[in-house]
Amino acid sequence: MTAVLPGAVDCAGKPSRDFTYVPSRRRRLSEYEAVTCFTQPDIEAYDQQGWLLRDANGRPPWVRESTALVHPDWFSFRDPASHWQRTYVRMQAEQERAIERSAEDAAAEGVFDEFDPVWVRDILGRHYRAWSYAEYGLFRAFAVAQREALSDTLGNALCFEAFDRMRHAQAIVLHLLELEDHIPGFVDDGAKAVWLEDPRYQPTRRLVEELVAGNDWGELAVVTNLVFDPILTEISVGQLVRRFGPFHGDPVTAHLIGTTERDRRRNLAWTREFVRMVTADGVPERESNRATIAGWLASWTPRIEEAAEALADVYDVPPLQVARFEDVLDKALRTQSAIVADLGLDVGVMA
Amino acid sequence: MRNLIKAHDRVKDFDWEHSYAEKPDRYPTKYKIPRKTKDPFRHLIRDYVSMEQEKDDRQYGAMEDALARSNSAGKAQPRWMEILKIAIPTVNFGEYAAMKCCGQLIDTVDNAELRQGYMAQMIDEVRHTNQEIYLNRYFAKHAADPEGFHIGLKARGVNLFGVAGRAALEAFFVGDPVEGALNLQVVAETAYTNPIFVTLTEVAAANGDNVTPSVFLSIQSDEARHMANGYSTLAAVVSNEDNLKYLQTDFDRAFWRQHAFLDPFLGTVYDYFQKERGSSYLEKWTEWIAEDWVGSYISKMEPFGLAVPEWFYLAQEHMKWKHHTAAMLAAASWPMHFWRWDPLTEADFEWFENKYPGWYELYGAFWENFARTTGAADGVNPLAAFEALPPLCQVCQMPCIMPRLDCNEVRFREYGGRILPFCGDPCEKIFFDEPIRYEQSVNFWQHHDGRSIAEYISASGMLRADGRTLIAQPSLDTDRMWTIDDVAAWDYQITDPMPAIAAQLAAAGSGTNGSAHGSANGSAS
Repeated sequence: MTAVLPGAVDCAGKPSRDFTYVPSRRRRLSEYEAVTCFTQPDIEAYDQQGWLLRDANGRPPWVRESTALVHPDWFSFRDPASHWQRTYVRMQAEQERAIERSAEDAAAEGVFDEFDPVWVRDILGRHYRAWSYAEYGLFRAFAVAQREALSDTLGNALCFEAFDRMRHAQAIVLHLLELEDHIPGFVDDGAKAVWLEDPRYQPTRRLVEELVAGNDWGELAVVTNLVFDPILTEISVGQLVRRFGPFHGDPVTAHLIGTTERDRRRNLAWTREFVRMVTADGVPERESNRATIAGWLASWTPRIEEAAEALADVYDVPPLQVARFEDVLDKALRTQSAIVADLGLDVGVMA
Repeated sequence: MRNLIKAHDRVKDFDWEHSYAEKPDRYPTKYKIPRKTKDPFRHLIRDYVSMEQEKDDRQYGAMEDALARSNSAGKAQPRWMEILKIAIPTVNFGEYAAMKCCGQLIDTVDNAELRQGYMAQMIDEVRHTNQEIYLNRYFAKHAADPEGFHIGLKARGVNLFGVAGRAALEAFFVGDPVEGALNLQVVAETAYTNPIFVTLTEVAAANGDNVTPSVFLSIQSDEARHMANGYSTLAAVVSNEDNLKYLQTDFDRAFWRQHAFLDPFLGTVYDYFQKERGSSYLEKWTEWIAEDWVGSYISKMEPFGLAVPEWFYLAQEHMKWKHHTAAMLAAASWPMHFWRWDPLTEADFEWFENKYPGWYELYGAFWENFARTTGAADGVNPLAAFEALPPLCQVCQMPCIMPRLDCNEVRFREYGGRILPFCGDPCEKIFFDEPIRYEQSVNFWQHHDGRSIAEYISASGMLRADGRTLIAQPSLDTDRMWTIDDVAAWDYQITDPMPAIAAQLAAAGSGTNGSAHGSANGSAS
């Protein structure tokens, strides 16, 4: 049929009707692979002429030293979620609408009247709001990581994670504004001082600042998604805010956190895939990569655990003791250990 | 009811002074940016994702529904469709580079207001990167001739002009982040996205392609925000007088780097691949770049110390011929590309002469000859008409034949024991201001030096499904298609012209030459 179209060529074989330069993981090229792969030039593959510009110190656009990990083909990474912009933005738009509707419903049903005042003032207004700064810091760190990543598939996964972090930070602010509208006397103020000065939060702030100061995008992904989130975010947000909330008349915040936990699962999944990729059989540097990652885990896990322990007192703030801090921490550490053990990695300080 | 003012104030108060770990100066900038400025971005993420989802649904929905059923891609003018094979992948790197630029700006510009804008732009650029490659794949599926679309990003990497495009667009994110913003937001987005995403859609639609406009106009709807980012960045930069001593030089360089590639490239796409003809590229350039960008946007910045780019008037003078010269070389090197040419007709000649008085005398003979000698049976290698391949500029990677072969501004300069070619005064100055940034670049002729053209074509995968017919053709005539055997019969080697030029200059007793007009480089015989 196409042969009759103006401009058609019917005398030079049957043309391919799809990209032929992308090695697909599946039988057919996925939409994700098609619109993502090789959008970043690869001077080892299709762009062998090399770089055409350097900075004032002679640094080319991308450098292998941007991570201590080594892999012969960073472009072979595939995000298990197969996200490209359209699917990612659609997913986040759905999550944001869900948050908005849950707040609307809560307002209409008078649910905000049932929120415990201590819960609102100290846990949501101070503790959870302080967490928005941690997320913002991580946004900044991931924005740099996406710049430096050595392939498009990795750069995009890091870019989406940067956006996740800012989304969570903003969602907390909007949630508290909603509370200001519906809970007489509640004002969102004072959390920045908590973040900057309260001794319980300083180990977390130090970690975030260190992650922002870091210079290795591989390390950032491994530390944040395999250690920071499973231990610290779980203790600070997943357990204390999501789990305790309904017992303090607040089923709404849990809904918001559910959306960020969905992001966390996605980020954990791609980071697992990333670690498997750099430690896979056939990767010449797999042992040194394994040692590098083990070094990161050994360096960061104790400090992240300490930061979690520094928050122990905050578990005494909610009027109802839904769970003991020690139990929650123990469970988080076990879960995190299982994650790294499953990847065949050194589990750091955890026995 | 959400209090938007409070919401905006609070999401812009996330920054704090770090006291436990000092962030390294990863992307050093010489500019001082005030910590508080005007907010360029008035959307919260919640609103942003909803808005973008709706735009995506409209665009992708149209592509898969009405546009697919009406087979707009298949029925479009073949001449127009051919140039999209290189145009889409080339523009695409600009989007990807822009995403990287935003990462640098987020890190470097310590200003919460601007950071919000950069964040949204960062994800927008992922959007545009994906949209354009989706469009490329759509054409691989639906165009009358899919060959070339199916290797887009791979072919870009080994194409003379694809590589020159990368040279210009790397400036979005390689170097001082503020200089990157000048290249990206102030020059490329504010000046050039209108000719790219607005006027090209008029050409596309007039030539039966309604798919490209669906994508490009959806992209352009984000660009207004990026222009606002650029304006806010620029306003922040000029608010500190200390910055002015660097700003003009960086701005001059940014304009020239983008002009040196984008104008010959866009001009060729625009003027040489319209079948149903309307405006000329020069008319659109005058409207968008000279009148709108320089006349309105830049002149508004003049009271703050920013002047029209130093080389703008030179560029304006070049605009009459530059892209015609580039198009001529692109046509003469047609076997090395991955699209087909549609030789110009009498009606085209008339249009060119009308839009560019004097065109026929300068270029008419070449195109008449090109149309006559495109039959495979003739076996003529158009590159053989050149004494040698034209040198490629060490900075912009474009051929040093601008603005015209007979009055080109090529110059050769000694640096580090090598003789380097420059297309003219601006690129020469840009190079010697900061040689470290350009000295290591290897140009297209150097990279492929010594390869036969047939080997280059085969190794680059630029053959059709039968394994012998070239993807590139000098005409749309399917009765006389060129094969790799035709090209192999030429026994033509890609030869870096610089060793011979250097020897010639040495023999003449001059290491360098400031006015080698058409002498040492290739001139059409």
